[in-house]
Amino acid sequence: MEPRALVEQAVIPCLQVILVVLLIPLVIAYLQLVERKVLGFMQARLAPRRVGWHGLLQPIADAVKLLIKEDTIPARADRFLFTLAPIVSVVPALLALAVIPIGGVPFTLFGYEVRPYIADLDIGVLFLLAVGSLGIYGILLGGWASNSKYSLLGALRSGAQMISYEIPLGFALIGVMMLAGTASLVGIVEAQKAAGWWYVAPQILGFFCYFVSAVAETNRIPFDLPEAEAELVAGFHTEYSGMKFAFFFLAEYTNMIVVSALVTVAFFGGWLRPFPNVRALDWLENGWVLLVPLALGAFFGWMVDQRVGGGMRFLFVGGLLGGLIGFGIGAADLFGVATASAPQLAGAFWFGLKVSFFLFAYIWFRGTYPRYRYDQLMDLGWKWLLPMSIANVLLTGLVLLLRGGGAS
Amino acid sequence: MTGWLRTILLAELWVGLWTTLKNQFRPHVTVEYPRETVDLAPRFRGTPRLRYHPENGEELCIACHLCEVVCPCDCIHIVSEKKPEGKGKRLVSFEINLERCCFCGLCVDPCPTKPLTAIYMSHDYELADYSRTPFVAPLKTLLDGTTPHEYSK
Amino acid sequence: MLRTEEMEINMGPQHPSTHGVLRLILHLDGETIAGMRPVIGYLHRGVEKLAEHRTYAMIEPLTDRLDYVAAVSENLGWCGAVERLMGVTPPPRAEYLRVVLAELQRIASHLLWLGTHALDLGAMSVFFYTFREREMILDLFEAFCGARLTTNSMRIGGFLEDAPRDWLERVRHFLKIFPGRMKEYEDLLTKNRIFVGRTKDVGLLSAADAIALGVSGPPLRASGVSYDVRKATPYSAYPEFEFDIPVGKNGDTYDRYLVRMEELRQSCRIIGQALDRMPDGEVKAKVPKYIKPPPGEVYHAVESPRGEQGFYVISEGGEMPYRVRFRAPSFGNLQALETMCRGQLVADVVAVIGSIDIVLGDCDR
Repeated sequence: MEPRALVEQAVIPCLQVILVVLLIPLVIAYLQLVERKVLGFMQARLAPRRVGWHGLLQPIADAVKLLIKEDTIPARADRFLFTLAPIVSVVPALLALAVIPIGGVPFTLFGYEVRPYIADLDIGVLFLLAVGSLGIYGILLGGWASNSKYSLLGALRSGAQMISYEIPLGFALIGVMMLAGTASLVGIVEAQKAAGWWYVAPQILGFFCYFVSAVAETNRIPFDLPEAEAELVAGFHTEYSGMKFAFFFLAEYTNMIVVSALVTVAFFGGWLRPFPNVRALDWLENGWVLLVPLALGAFFGWMVDQRVGGGMRFLFVGGLLGGLIGFGIGAADLFGVATASAPQLAGAFWFGLKVSFFLFAYIWFRGTYPRYRYDQLMDLGWKWLLPMSIANVLLTGLVLLLRGGGAS
Repeated sequence: MTGWLRTILLAELWVGLWTTLKNQFRPHVTVEYPRETVDLAPRFRGTPRLRYHPENGEELCIACHLCEVVCPCDCIHIVSEKKPEGKGKRLVSFEINLERCCFCGLCVDPCPTKPLTAIYMSHDYELADYSRTPFVAPLKTLLDGTTPHEYSK
Repeated sequence: MLRTEEMEINMGPQHPSTHGVLRLILHLDGETIAGMRPVIGYLHRGVEKLAEHRTYAMIEPLTDRLDYVAAVSENLGWCGAVERLMGVTPPPRAEYLRVVLAELQRIASHLLWLGTHALDLGAMSVFFYTFREREMILDLFEAFCGARLTTNSMRIGGFLEDAPRDWLERVRHFLKIFPGRMKEYEDLLTKNRIFVGRTKDVGLLSAADAIALGVSGPPLRASGVSYDVRKATPYSAYPEFEFDIPVGKNGDTYDRYLVRMEELRQSCRIIGQALDRMPDGEVKAKVPKYIKPPPGEVYHAVESPRGEQGFYVISEGGEMPYRVRFRAPSFGNLQALETMCRGQLVADVVAVIGSIDIVLGDCDR
């Protein structure tokens, strides 16, 4: 095999894998900080602020704490399974990230072609669903290996909940696959580009089923009874501490990211801008130049404390500064002084924006809603979401049939 | 009809989300102690303390024992003797056991000295210490007060 | 056939959702509760015995610490009981100020209940919002009485000092902003399908059961019995105010929630009327320096946020009472817990305990 192909097909994906595995814990640590900050601001209080400037070093402190904690294993627990369970939780979650694309078009770096995804499987959606189901084993093993009847019951409930909500999840995605005609994630986004609109519009019911099932899959409020008070203790990860607990935690947040990314790809056009085929909005392709500094400026402005009457002031100041910088870059681009446009960066920006919005929605739900009781939770999954998602599939099929031949 | 539509479209769930989003941008109510402190009301009942006599630099207390009698926690311990010259009594020792004090302020009510009572509820609440001995506060501590330990960060 | 056994689990004294040191021994048949036994006494401090060795004025700080969430109601009841024994009537301004304080305390206590109840059910933001408003009320108490929680606000015969000069204005300001904040809590909870699903038809208590078990206060009214001490045996200045008593229909957790939310509104109404008609004058009646009520006994009840708080005092003419008995509303309400929880799921126990709103300091004395 010629060396160029070897590098492109083997070495670069390996480097991408290493990058993802190294970056994801960092991203998740800071995602956790953002969650605490957003929740704090929603609740009229300030979230972590003492460690580092406005709490930015808090995740590092948390990580160090978890690393140096004593590694306790309960007395008569199954040691091998106890240590294996967090690994079985984390590995499928990380594995799912292999098929998530952040862009469509490969770009060249130092003369080698780099694809904005690690692998584009033809059965991408199926792979994701399968790998997501594997993560449930970790929870069941964790509960069993803890040698505590409360942990076991919590794990069984958590597992049953996740399995029940896998089904509407899958059915919601079938509607998308029918419209796109392919199960490859890149293909789904390309199909949305060809169709000219994001699939959330024709598949609004599917999106609703999918997102609610996703929140239930990842055991978040309003579906987190197994974690919160299950049998009056903390559920399957009661007996875990230190790095093992950190792994369960990592698995949960990685699942959140994977699910948000999947909802973006399947329903919200992945890396496409709104109305991807409308010529008049082509300037939005380069709009990231303006919007990224704006967003970053607003974000930092928001992270700074809100004094009495301050409210939106820092947001605006940060946004204004960012906007000016972006305008400057854009103007420089316009007058040929410097080039800033690149379709890959634009795509990555839109993808990141949408995933961030869904992660914010997760945190928003956590701050707003009470919890469902366990039997109400199962009712919702089996009696409401499953029929709705099946109805969605039937409806999609009917519409495709009536429009004359479905996708191939 | 509208009720059914509201249920389908999850009306009240959106209202809840909007409420929390509004609060996202409102000012916070946190007081970042110890960097900032709360403003105390004038009548705030902190730890009981004694006052100096405005003229002669001694304590204002006339050793009438009324505060000792009325304290529900039995935490005031006064030893007094008859004044060698003139009428009345004077203090030998005055101790308040701050571990038993419930900060109710009943000791201030019967104190007869005018215009200011000899015993008063100060605004000190930062009373933590590393050992128990300072909590049985003798006369000097009650008159002068204590400085709180500095927070290291 | 498979043989099933009842499982006995312990919801111990240390638990985030039992609102104090309450121990529940649950007999479970699978997920449903077959029986329950509350074990109390972890906060028993012997207050009634302590009261026998203290004078009437010295007992007031003790009453602060009975129901520590609603200290002003306790003070009001105690001072009212001793005043009845002595035949002393506080001046009208003192009575009106007492009503304002008591109703502010009712609002503060119900806000704490709402926050912790919502927190138990998972809606954590409501907790912070209610505490934000509660802080305002506690600041008002601090300005008037000197302390936020253990207020020791009143004295026998009235008050020690009149309200600070701007205090009534601050209360008025609070009344102006409070309805807007209440709307926020309602937006987040009242019609929320998840909250309604967790609380409707959960923890049912029939009216007959409630009366038989000695329940009082909002749980009794939510079961359909219209009994409020402020209307049944009026005390202080309450006969002069116009207010309604909210009564529920089903006696479930949702009704108890609605009753307390309506009580918040009615309290605002009472405070508004009291502020409008506040008389001038002095705030302390003439009482002897050493309070020695004539021999006799009295039972004086007030409507605390928890229910009927009763004070039974037997005096033998001395400085210290012969016997003091505090009738605790939380004790009676707790007795109804088993009736309410039988047949419910374990996850509902938390919701039901939250809805009865017990304070263990009051229950155990």
